[in-house]
Amino acid sequence: MTNWRFKEIVVLSALSVVFAVVYLAFLPVGKLLFGILGPIGYDLIFGIWFIVSIIAAYIIRKPGAAFLSETIAATIEVLIGNAVGPMLIISGMIQGAGAEAVFAATRWKNYSIWVLMLAGVGSSITSFIYGYFMGGFAALDTGYVIAMFVVRVISGALIAGLLGKAISDGLAKTGVLSSYALGKEVRKGKVA
Amino acid sequence: MFLHQLNPTMKAFTIVIIVILLALIFDPITPSILFLTTIILMFVGGKVNWKRYFLYLLPFLLFAFGMFWTTLIFAKQPDLPGQTITILTFDFPRESFIVALALAVRVLSVAALSLLFIFTTNIVHFILSLIQQLKLSPKIAYGVLAGYRFLPMMKDELKVIREAHRIRGVNQVSTIRGKWSQYKRYAIPLLASAIRKAERTAIAMESKGFTGDRSRTFLKQFTVSGKDWLFLVIMLTLYAVAVYTSYSLGFLKLYDGEL
Amino acid sequence: MTPHVTVQDLSLRFEFVERDTLSGISFSLEQGESILVLGPSGCGKSTLTLCLNGLYPRELDGALSGDIIINGKPTLSYKPGQLSRIVGVVFQDPETQFCMLTVEDEIAFGLENIAVPREEIEERIDDALRLVDMEHFKQSTISTLSGGQKQKLALACILAMRPNLLILDEPTANLDPIARIDLIQTIKRLKSELGFSLIIIEHQLDQWTDLANRCLMFDKNGSVFFDGSMQQAIRSHRKEIEGEGIWLPKVTQQVLPYVNDKTHDVPLTLEDFSREAHLWSGIQWDENVENIELETQDIFLECNQVSYIANDKTILKDISITIREHEFVAIAGANGSGKTTLSRILAGLQRPVSGTVFLGGKPLTEWNEGELRKEIGYVFQNPEHQFVMNTVYDEIAFSLQMKGVHESEIQERVGRILKLLGLTSYTKNHPFTLSQGQKRRLSIATMIVDEQKMLILDEPTFGQDAATNYEMMLMLEERYQRGTGIVMITHDMELVHNYADRIIVLHEGEVVADCRPAKLWQQPDRLLREWGLDLPIQVKMQRLCKKEDQYHVPTST
Ligand SMILES: Nc1ncnc2c1ncn2[C@@H]1O[C@H](COP(=O)(O)OP(=O)(O)OP(=O)(O)O)[C@@H](O)[C@H]1O
Ligand SMILES: Nc1ncnc2c1ncn2[C@@H]1O[C@H](COP(=O)(O)OP(=O)(O)OP(=O)(O)O)[C@@H](O)[C@H]1O
Ligand SMILES: [Mg+2]
Ligand SMILES: [Mg+2]
Repeated sequence: MTNWRFKEIVVLSALSVVFAVVYLAFLPVGKLLFGILGPIGYDLIFGIWFIVSIIAAYIIRKPGAAFLSETIAATIEVLIGNAVGPMLIISGMIQGAGAEAVFAATRWKNYSIWVLMLAGVGSSITSFIYGYFMGGFAALDTGYVIAMFVVRVISGALIAGLLGKAISDGLAKTGVLSSYALGKEVRKGKVA
Repeated sequence: MFLHQLNPTMKAFTIVIIVILLALIFDPITPSILFLTTIILMFVGGKVNWKRYFLYLLPFLLFAFGMFWTTLIFAKQPDLPGQTITILTFDFPRESFIVALALAVRVLSVAALSLLFIFTTNIVHFILSLIQQLKLSPKIAYGVLAGYRFLPMMKDELKVIREAHRIRGVNQVSTIRGKWSQYKRYAIPLLASAIRKAERTAIAMESKGFTGDRSRTFLKQFTVSGKDWLFLVIMLTLYAVAVYTSYSLGFLKLYDGEL
Repeated sequence: MTPHVTVQDLSLRFEFVERDTLSGISFSLEQGESILVLGPSGCGKSTLTLCLNGLYPRELDGALSGDIIINGKPTLSYKPGQLSRIVGVVFQDPETQFCMLTVEDEIAFGLENIAVPREEIEERIDDALRLVDMEHFKQSTISTLSGGQKQKLALACILAMRPNLLILDEPTANLDPIARIDLIQTIKRLKSELGFSLIIIEHQLDQWTDLANRCLMFDKNGSVFFDGSMQQAIRSHRKEIEGEGIWLPKVTQQVLPYVNDKTHDVPLTLEDFSREAHLWSGIQWDENVENIELETQDIFLECNQVSYIANDKTILKDISITIREHEFVAIAGANGSGKTTLSRILAGLQRPVSGTVFLGGKPLTEWNEGELRKEIGYVFQNPEHQFVMNTVYDEIAFSLQMKGVHESEIQERVGRILKLLGLTSYTKNHPFTLSQGQKRRLSIATMIVDEQKMLILDEPTFGQDAATNYEMMLMLEERYQRGTGIVMITHDMELVHNYADRIIVLHEGEVVADCRPAKLWQQPDRLLREWGLDLPIQVKMQRLCKKEDQYHVPTST
């Protein structure tokens, strides 16, 4: 973390806090879908829970952004007091690690749309493995579990990857990101 | 007040241990006992606004209920399909029923444990204690603390953005769909203002001499004392008692590597 | 002895900005010296503070050249954080300089950073709070403090760190006249007790001049054109000062037109003036005695027994006022007296807890939002709250575009306003990157382009230099002449005196006066003080002259 500017850490944690609230807001939506469609309903919107790691990594572009932002968001979610409990922090770390691994594979150099979507998929995979053991998926029918997995991967790619990119790009247009990697890229593009 | 005086890091550590231990249990009795004893412990050792407490607990109750039904319905084929239990004229395999109940009560007892932490801990103290006990980097810890400040501000921020649009003559809508599209329109400005505020806070902190290195003092010092170990022992004992009771009643079922 | 601070040929340019914001600045400051930094809004004063405390160039996106030497060492050679033990800055916007939740933690934060031992931290917190007279707020949550208290807390945080150099960036912009005088007194006292060097950035010079005689004057291009005493500046650089729109002390402004003898020292303060009041008996005092009969116009807005309560605290109590068409009304009162709350209710932004506001005889709640906004325009106290777009141009063009005005006309109108307010070179900037004063002007411009029947403005002129203040008031005056009613909250008594037909004074949530300004000035001083008001300088000077006359009359006959 030594090459991080302090400003970047604070911005990252502000993003995490905002998305912790968003996550909480989506919890009832998840529960509703869960109630209607069963566990797979949850997987439909599961991608939303990785979105901050994609956004933070895409904006700041430094090693650790994806992992740290997701971890902080999960911690804040627990601290606000309306989540699944302290284990959620572990889930957050595992989700963050999934996205981080994808960015690491590009040596934190490539932030094209495909990489962002892959990062969403990365989180889907790690979170699913974790959920399988902790969430008691073991008690469910195997075919059903596979369906859940496929839905979650798609959700990770679309909601976390695509939507995350769209939000960040919208944010860059407002000019607030001018001193971060994404903002610099956008402004250079404009000037050139 | 005992619970409020504990070292926040140790308290968190203890609770995480119990939660992990709970994950190893697949029967409904152990978590039920732990759920009740945790609430009793809160009652005895903490100063809590109970109305708020139950308000926080409510969503967990709903969640647990949902968990129960869905696990029951989507459970895989039981080993002993013969034994059934009847609820509202529907027959369910007894085994699925027990597993569903176990998972649901587990949600509750984990909820009670985390609420114990949340209701007796000052978050700022928790983060400070993480720096002091776990040697968390001050740069990250204070960064998070600065971000945490936005939490109460977000509602005001939304109001500010809404009013700006109102005053500039952007039509307001009151239908649910209209509101939704409005929130979408506000999402970017809201994030932008969070980032802007974060940036300014960072500047303010740095100009007050914050560097993020460890050579700093603390007005509020946190140490680990006998009390904290006592709390760990109490919680482990409660867990042991719960497991033993469940065992005596013949319910105890451990996680046996099923995938 | 080497000087405390030396700045040599400092230039700074922000990334993607075509011209230097600071160019070729040089000056030095001795240990214990005080200096006033003056210049038009947007000339780079706040930017300079960030250079002095070492945050720039480290956090700067752009280029900086030249040297800043503090205590004999260039700022660049200090390790991050080290410089803040020497240089303490109280920033311009009190909202943005806190990072903790409570008063105690906030002060402690700075001390922890510089590794003050724990036992001493406690002590220093109490000391600092005592200095600014806020001992009772040690455990308060910062967000519950009023504007003035926040400003004082910001000062306490810095004082606790015991810097050798204290930099204050417009520390009184949002304070009521009495709170302002109190704060300046506090700083004077502290300076004589602690002996730090002091850099004061201000637009309103009154009361500061006897604390700091030397001033550093900036021009619009961000270079220094004068460094010396105020008296000297008035003698040798009067044209430039006027051209750049730098304020002079109010007393000086009044007498300057009557000064013929260039060698004579003009009075800077009321005390100077009172010593020689007899010299100035020829001054013509312009009275604001437009004889519009207040009661003859139709009622526009009527506020009927309005009360407001937040968090069990009564903020407005049973307020009944009427505002007629085409009136120029000022609302004044101490910090926290409820002005902003009242104006928000009048504008229909907030609903009162009880009571009703009628617009054209119809309760506000029954108005369609779109129609209402054509009637009433509103400018927020915090300029940033006004902004909805990403560039300065779009921000002003917004309401015109909403109304479907033709593009070429929009360009013409926006261009004209930008020019008047001195924002032409910022059309493509993001509103948030403007200086504090520029933001204020932009937020007003967004409302002035439109054609509402009434404008409500919450402290529209704070942080302005003389020229922009004049332009802004001219624009408001012009709207007023064209028939727009103006309701303006302000702490500036001169503005009230010169422009308002009527003043409404709030005190602890109640209307305590509602009359012509001239009548208000006749209230006992004690009462005005209690309400957080001060007499306008003209009135004070006039009275001094009158006293002088009375004194002279018997002896001469
Ligand atoms: N981060 C930034 N990026 C681009 N331009 C900036 C930035 N910060 C400030 N500026 C510009 O630099 C100029 C000087 O700003 P500064 O805030 O120093 O002015 P100021 O003299 O303090 O004015 P005021 O009296 O209104 O507070 C302004 O024109 C502003 O638009
Ligand atoms: N939502 C709220 N909750 C609690 N107190 C509030 C709230 N809004 C305003 N107040 C309090 O009401 C009082 C009046 O606030 P208001 O902003 O109207 O004052 P003001 O006259 O505009 O002061 P200033 O000159 O400092 O702008 C203050 O003491 C403020 O702290
Ligand atoms: Mg400034
Ligand atoms: Mg106000």
